[in-house]
Amino acid sequence: MTPKRVGWAAVALGILAFFVAVPPLTVRSPIVVIVLAALAMAAGSYAVTAGEKRIGWGGIVAGLVGLVGGYAATQSGVANLERVVVWGALGAATLRYATPLIFGAVGGLFSERSGVVNIALEGMMLMGAFFGAWGADMTGSWILGLVIAVVAGSAFAAIHALFAISFRADQIVSGTALNLLAVGITGYLYVQVYGDLGTPDDLPSVPNVSLPIDWLPLFGDVFGDLNLLVWLALAAVLVTWIVVFRTPTGLRLRSAGENPLAAETAGLNVVRTRYYAVMASGGLAALGGAFLSIGFLHTFTQNMTAGRGFIALAALIFGRWKPGLALAATLLFGFGSALASRLPVFSPSGAVLFQALPYVLTLIAVTGLIGRSVPPLALGRPLPRS
Amino acid sequence: MADSPALELRGITKRFGALVANNSVDFELKRGEIHALLGENGAGKSTLMNVLYGLHQPDEGQILLDGEPVTIDSPRRAIGLGIGMVHQHFMLVPVMTVAENLVLGAEPRSGLLLDYKGAANRVRELSQQFGLAVDPDAKVEDIGVGTQQRVEILRALFRGAKVLVLDEPTAVLTPQEAQDLFVVLRRLTEQGTSVVFISHKLNEVLDIADRVTVLRRGEKIDTVSTEGATERSLAGLMVGREVLLRVEKPEQTLGEPLLTLEGVSAEDDRGLPAVNDVSLEVRAGEIVGLAGVDANGQSELIEAIMGLRAPTAGTITVDGKDVTHCGPRDTLAAGVSHIAEDRHRRGLVLEFDLAENLCLREYKTPAFSTRGFLSPSKMVTRARKLLKEFDVRGGEPETRAGSLSGGNQQKVVIARELTADPKVIIAAQPTRGLDVGAIEFVHRRLVEERDRGKAVLLVSLELEEVRSLSDRVLVIYEGRIVTELPPESSEEDFGVYMTGGGRDERAA
Repeated sequence: MTPKRVGWAAVALGILAFFVAVPPLTVRSPIVVIVLAALAMAAGSYAVTAGEKRIGWGGIVAGLVGLVGGYAATQSGVANLERVVVWGALGAATLRYATPLIFGAVGGLFSERSGVVNIALEGMMLMGAFFGAWGADMTGSWILGLVIAVVAGSAFAAIHALFAISFRADQIVSGTALNLLAVGITGYLYVQVYGDLGTPDDLPSVPNVSLPIDWLPLFGDVFGDLNLLVWLALAAVLVTWIVVFRTPTGLRLRSAGENPLAAETAGLNVVRTRYYAVMASGGLAALGGAFLSIGFLHTFTQNMTAGRGFIALAALIFGRWKPGLALAATLLFGFGSALASRLPVFSPSGAVLFQALPYVLTLIAVTGLIGRSVPPLALGRPLPRS
Repeated sequence: MADSPALELRGITKRFGALVANNSVDFELKRGEIHALLGENGAGKSTLMNVLYGLHQPDEGQILLDGEPVTIDSPRRAIGLGIGMVHQHFMLVPVMTVAENLVLGAEPRSGLLLDYKGAANRVRELSQQFGLAVDPDAKVEDIGVGTQQRVEILRALFRGAKVLVLDEPTAVLTPQEAQDLFVVLRRLTEQGTSVVFISHKLNEVLDIADRVTVLRRGEKIDTVSTEGATERSLAGLMVGREVLLRVEKPEQTLGEPLLTLEGVSAEDDRGLPAVNDVSLEVRAGEIVGLAGVDANGQSELIEAIMGLRAPTAGTITVDGKDVTHCGPRDTLAAGVSHIAEDRHRRGLVLEFDLAENLCLREYKTPAFSTRGFLSPSKMVTRARKLLKEFDVRGGEPETRAGSLSGGNQQKVVIARELTADPKVIIAAQPTRGLDVGAIEFVHRRLVEERDRGKAVLLVSLELEEVRSLSDRVLVIYEGRIVTELPPESSEEDFGVYMTGGGRDERAA
């Protein structure tokens, strides 16, 4: 067995240490948890000493997490455990919580791969949330609602593009300004249009897709009745991967983000490429926002994105600017949120702390503890003047 | 119109504000010719070629291709007209493969997708046709500079270039690689391509070009055939006065060893071994040259000596004092001066004015500050004196360092480092990017310091410079000193050691 396999085994054992202690297995003896966790850490240490540092440390951390989580589970009441850990519902909730993040992350991927830092995802998402709701309300159609959200998001993103690309402003400053602007615009329009009443109760909403797979254990519960936008989000990941990594357009996009001068020299129009990328970014992020307002909550409230744009950006960085890994990161963050929403049974404050998970993981990702996250080379740098 | 030249520039004038970069320049390129464009830095060579490549629009003048007047408003247009450019700093995307880089901008497709296999095959075909060996699936960041250059040339050919412009193509190559490049260029001209070869190196211009056009301060001085031209005659045209091409070196008087390295090893930024067990000694009154191809551990070695990088093994001694674990400040205080290889990153603070830059070493001494407060007037007075002594042009003590030309910036660095009266001088690429006149100045100063009993370690990628200045030469390859050669040894001998002793010829 190679040290690498041992490392992976350590990770698996660490997860198992937690898994045995919760339903459906619900082992009540802490000994089992402790033994499994100890095995995980031992295997992890072995992998570290054998040179597989990254995965080895992963195993050790997994063992620790498994030990703490599993032990805590054995010490809490079975009834509570069974209320919290319902895998089918958790899975569906994970996807629901992850959806806005997925849209945001793949949106951010377009912009950042083309070389433009997009910290304005939050604002673009918020624009999408408001205009999705407003559009659906005005036209009476959720489809037009989504279209209007995408248009609003792209138009808003064009402002970021104008400042970041044409005026060569600092992209962080421009993005931050846009986030604040989005809060202002949506807040003002919301009060103007809906006043104290809020959005109407009969707001058209994006339908769920019911699949006849109820009989499948677990899968049926997770995938049987998801919102259309959840499926769209998953499709967006696949499409993004194909576009960015398998088409000429993607090659040009990435070259603009890695070495814009090289792209110019090859006869490409970097400015135009970046404009399109940032606007695509805005449209996708807006879909994530629209999911919040007309897919999930069926209402718009002020500043309802509540930092999800930033978490999407965090997922993008944690996922090393790659669609598949970014999806994995959003699912992890989504799972954190899903679990957190059920944790108050045990400890309300602990549940809040759980919400910080994405940021902690992102910090770990950028410090390189689990493999360095290398951004596109020209990220944040405007095209040099010729 | 078979008799019309492949390319003709007529009366090109390009102004940047008050600066006239090109003043009514004429240039003619015959079919199948290699035509060198020679001039000092800032003579307007690159501007002229950027006009040709659509990066700048000329204020006046006309461009004719095969006798037809054309307007070139973008690189895309230039490429479409059959003009290819190989830039001095390669325009490649490091994380992408050779094939991806090559087809960027004109990608073969299968349906909506990129036809990567087709691209790779196209690369193989071209590389066979022109005899330029490259591996289409290698990532650009993993291949050597010589190969990267081949990729650039192939890319231009792939886009159908009939006129190929090479901007200082040998700057990053070993002598052997440069010879290989020349063979390739001759083969290309036989196949009908015309080549513009931009350079400020006289010997290689004489070696490769059929004709030479000399630019000086934005004006065309003359176009001459290389037949019958000499380095001296070209240098005269280029600078406008007689130039000393050879450095005059008096007999040396050797003294005590001032800089001693014993078994020094260091790692690069990625934590990989970059310097392996280097031992060397530089004595008072000698210039020791360190020859090598770029990225063979020179930068890391210099940083280790200067205390900018912690050595992983070995000891470094300056005049008997162990400075192995000293930081930069203590190393400087021990009597080391450092002409940094990158004057923008390490040599100067570009946003500071010259007076401030000139006292970066001594700002803390009582001469320039009292009780923690700087004395600007003293700084300015001394700066004025130094600027005059070192003939820095275009700058007052209050001028921002970033606004000087490269040659004058380097003079500021040298002024600061030499007035510190060091024992040891580490000169890293001291003439990089400088023109003939400034090079002459730097070389003369270094030899003067040697004659005053200083120990000079000269690290340079320019073999010619190392050979002409040094009293003895060490060759570094993959972080090891592989041999010591007398400077009179032939370029070929150096080339062999600089590329790993000829045992493992670099994979093509």
